[in-house]
Amino acid sequence: MNIIEVNNLTKSYGKTNALKQLSFSIEENKITGIIGRNGAGKTTMLNILAGFIKPTSGEVSVFSENPFDNLFVSSQSILVDDTMMLPTSLSLSELLKEASRFYEQWDETLAQRLFDYFSFDPNQHHDKLSKGKKSTFNTILGLASRCPLTIFDEPTIGMDEAVRKDFYRALLKDYLAHPRTILLSSHHLNEIEDLLEDVLLINDGATYLHMPVSELKSYAVGLKGPADLVKKWSRGRINLSSKNLGPSQLYVVLENDFSAESLEEMKRSGIELSSVSSSDVCVYLTSTSKGGIDDVFSDRETS
Amino acid sequence: MFLNTEGSKPIYIQIAEWIETEILNGNFAVEEKVNSQYQLAEMFNINPATAAKGLNILADEDILFKKRGLGMFVSPEAKQQIVKKRKEQTLKRLVQEVVLEARYLDVSERELIQMIEQANQKGDEEGT
Repeated sequence: MNIIEVNNLTKSYGKTNALKQLSFSIEENKITGIIGRNGAGKTTMLNILAGFIKPTSGEVSVFSENPFDNLFVSSQSILVDDTMMLPTSLSLSELLKEASRFYEQWDETLAQRLFDYFSFDPNQHHDKLSKGKKSTFNTILGLASRCPLTIFDEPTIGMDEAVRKDFYRALLKDYLAHPRTILLSSHHLNEIEDLLEDVLLINDGATYLHMPVSELKSYAVGLKGPADLVKKWSRGRINLSSKNLGPSQLYVVLENDFSAESLEEMKRSGIELSSVSSSDVCVYLTSTSKGGIDDVFSDRETS
Repeated sequence: MFLNTEGSKPIYIQIAEWIETEILNGNFAVEEKVNSQYQLAEMFNINPATAAKGLNILADEDILFKKRGLGMFVSPEAKQQIVKKRKEQTLKRLVQEVVLEARYLDVSERELIQMIEQANQKGDEEGT
């Protein structure tokens, strides 16, 4: 069953289109990673799914309803990000109490245990917390609300590495015990990919690809070896990245639709094959300009 | 339990290989139930769908078999299948790599075989 259906979704701010004819659907009880470069439209899309902003055109349905200004969708979903507006007059413990009144599946025990584990002071106020502590508190809300649709938009901003690891582990454990539909956006695919079932890659406001994370890992292959040989194999293929390694050695990243025999033949001819990490695949697929950062400096280099 | 997340091997293959090794070691006996996808997910800190993919590979290769509603069990021919598979795939690939490296270094076939014999004898001594 699809929890989310998005068809030709467009969102414009003035003359710029943040989302352009975006279409995808999300199945129930999957953890999906939302990946994209800065400004790709991830946050706009997640805010539309949560019902916070109205699309310019296109169709969005969440639990078969239009999410905008919809109390049912609000009660069944939560969007955790670093701009969560929480009342400044309430203490942290009062915030937890209020959340428990709103979310019917609220897990009091989990909230309290995480609260203690991360050493929060019940009398503190949300606006006085440090960046990392604020993010940590917000993720407690996200986990304990146990919403059928739980959305985390860059939830780990400001967290140190130990807390990030704890959060991902807590997310997985609670998901195993209580499966639900989770969307998790992050700039660090390598940190979250093991948790994910699917990846939705957004580029320039549109869906670039949507596939199981295991397929993404074998999407591309790296070839390193004598330049003429490597060039021969890259002919007629989409070259995701290439780099000269010395005068006669070349490294290229190609889409991996080679047969096992071809790969064997490459190896025998002296080409070194390497896997390309999922996060590198995403970076290559969404690179906006030809070439790389080196090209910015190219005319300054002394020859 | 740690997985090599940087490595070239997909996580689900690593899960399948971990179970294979447990079977070869005798930690899972024939007809015994292996860990569920949820237990594996918890142990290795991975998505349960990835764990399920690893289990399904082994079921496709007749190393495990499914009992509806009960889980996955070690099939009677599991060890045999694993040995056959690893010989045909892993060992063959390793030998190919050794041969290729030997060619680069102009090591003769005779010398290479001697090296293998030496390593094998050393392994025997350590084993006893």
